[in-house]
Amino acid sequence: MRKSMKKLIALTLACLMLATLFVGCGKKDDGGSSGGDTIKLGWMGSLTGDQAAYGTCESQTLKMMVEDLNANGGLLGKQVELICYDTKGDAQEAVNVAKRLCAQDQVCAIIGPNASGQCIAIQSVLDQYKISDMSTVATNEKVTMQDGQLKEYNFRVCFLDPQQGKIAGSFVYDNLGFDKAAILYDVNDDYALGLKDNFVKVFESKGGTIVAEEGYTAGDTDFTAQLTKIKEAQPQIIFTPIFYQDFIMIHKQARTLGIEVPMLGGDGCASEVLFDAADAVDGSYVINHVSLVDPAGDAFRKEYAEKYNGAKMELNGYMAHDAFLLWCAAVEKAGSDDPQAIADAYSQVEVEGMAGKIKISAEDHNPVGKSGCVERIDGKNKTYVFETYIAAD
Amino acid sequence: MGIEYFLQQLVNGICLGGMYALMSVGYSLVYSIMNFSNFAHGGVIMVGAYVGYFALTALNVPFLPAFLLCGVGSGLLAVIIERLVYSPLRKRHAPSLYFIISAMGASIFLENFVIATIDGTPRNYPPIFDNRINIGGISLGVDSLLMIVVSAVALLILMFIIQKTKVGLAIRACSYSEKASTLMGINGDLVIFIIFLMGGVLAGFAGMLYGMRFIVKPTIGQVTNKSFVAAVFGGLGSLPGAIVGSVLLGIMEIFVASFNSNLRDLFVYGLLILVLVIKPSGLMGKVVEDKA
Repeated sequence: MRKSMKKLIALTLACLMLATLFVGCGKKDDGGSSGGDTIKLGWMGSLTGDQAAYGTCESQTLKMMVEDLNANGGLLGKQVELICYDTKGDAQEAVNVAKRLCAQDQVCAIIGPNASGQCIAIQSVLDQYKISDMSTVATNEKVTMQDGQLKEYNFRVCFLDPQQGKIAGSFVYDNLGFDKAAILYDVNDDYALGLKDNFVKVFESKGGTIVAEEGYTAGDTDFTAQLTKIKEAQPQIIFTPIFYQDFIMIHKQARTLGIEVPMLGGDGCASEVLFDAADAVDGSYVINHVSLVDPAGDAFRKEYAEKYNGAKMELNGYMAHDAFLLWCAAVEKAGSDDPQAIADAYSQVEVEGMAGKIKISAEDHNPVGKSGCVERIDGKNKTYVFETYIAAD
Repeated sequence: MGIEYFLQQLVNGICLGGMYALMSVGYSLVYSIMNFSNFAHGGVIMVGAYVGYFALTALNVPFLPAFLLCGVGSGLLAVIIERLVYSPLRKRHAPSLYFIISAMGASIFLENFVIATIDGTPRNYPPIFDNRINIGGISLGVDSLLMIVVSAVALLILMFIIQKTKVGLAIRACSYSEKASTLMGINGDLVIFIIFLMGGVLAGFAGMLYGMRFIVKPTIGQVTNKSFVAAVFGGLGSLPGAIVGSVLLGIMEIFVASFNSNLRDLFVYGLLILVLVIKPSGLMGKVVEDKA
């Protein structure tokens, strides 16, 4: 009796462990009504992990927009069904999820994922199934082009890393008038490298000096050694092409070490989460695709907040919004939910999105002529202050 | 690069080492009695960080009660893990490899349990001790200082318990030979219970201090890998060794990172291998044949 009890307990525990393994990798949500004749749209991105805030905002925005669209009669007279999967911020997981969306769910197109590494990883799956992906904030060059070769099914709605690096370089030298900058970045991250290289190129060509260049690897939480070295070099600003969580930790530790100069981050830093450490990040800058305080987005932000218990709109929501508009236009242009026709239609449509007019180039699958905006973080009022728009080229 | 720079890096190293110390003592405590590396310790620290976070944000309690709550929460969790996972293995006299594997399982279980029940989003503690102290150009965060003070006080209390009390005597006896001690009338189960309770309470404190200074997320447990290295470096099973090893490792790590940050982890894990190859008993550990 006692033995069988033990076995039962062991079995239950084993099941529980197995269950937790599966929780998180398969969050499937139906955005619209699921009938027989629907248009299936896939989304993938980080719902857990370091970039969870981004992915959650993207998927929630899409759900909201799909519901609105379906309430207004859907697309081509059909209801749209949204299928969302978590990539856990992992490239390998992204490949698995892409396979599932293409082979099992047979979606007509994919939106996401929210990081370059994952977008680059899923290319072979997209090519195999001939299903297009419209990336939201993947800013790495290699997402749509590699070695001069166009990736047929990879598209993006945002600007590229080189452009962000250039924007940063111009902003620091021209707008702030600084000529001494330090850099602190994740040496293993493609995104950080892309931004850093282009920042250095532009900043030095204008006459600026990089007084310190320090690196770290993902997962590090103590930056005091590097920051102490940076402090010694006395820069006027620290360029940090990283993600928001590291941005917060680096700010906290820098302020503790008595470093009072501002920092400048890329779009990976622009998050409402920054205000958790409002005092530390006060006065620093972030580059963004759109201004998060632009009045043009008021109605959109309000609808989102009402639907999701006052949740704040992240940049990713804007980009998901624009990607969704492009997809709708492409489906209408194609006149069907044929994946190939949609992929072809992407470069033929033009939409008025949150981040301005968007037209995808047929040559490189990137949006044509987008500029970026720089915002200053106002820690006291927990808000961003619009600084300036800077054209990338 | 003056003396000020050098001292600042030294202070950075001591702060980092202080945190490692609080974490590595848990590893050493368990190892000293049970002869295995309790990798679930990282998970317990992580849960402690979450307890503190929710105590401060959701329950709105002040720092001190939240801090104590972390100790209680993590202490209980450590004891529960011992009862559910290790106790059955102990009853069967399973080899220590089984313990290590179960410990890893428990650690991954805790990580995924938090992801499944709360979520994977990293969280930031509300600012509590954000000001800093300046001594002659050297800056020291109040949170770092607190970490060192708490580490020192907690470790002193722990050493007192182990060296001066009857319970401590039992613990020391068991660390030599659990079998013989049990034969002499010492309640081995109780000693192990106390070991896990003490290790867990320290883990809770460490978790909250870590969360305050850095971040709260389900993968914090992996950060404790370095404190495990510190424990090995100092000599697994030896409390003073864990403390000395932690502080030294913290200082060395900072100086290596200030030389070239890419070499940081290479150095730490290289040191782990080097210690295991050349002097497995670490700085202050007992002779391996005695312990393993």
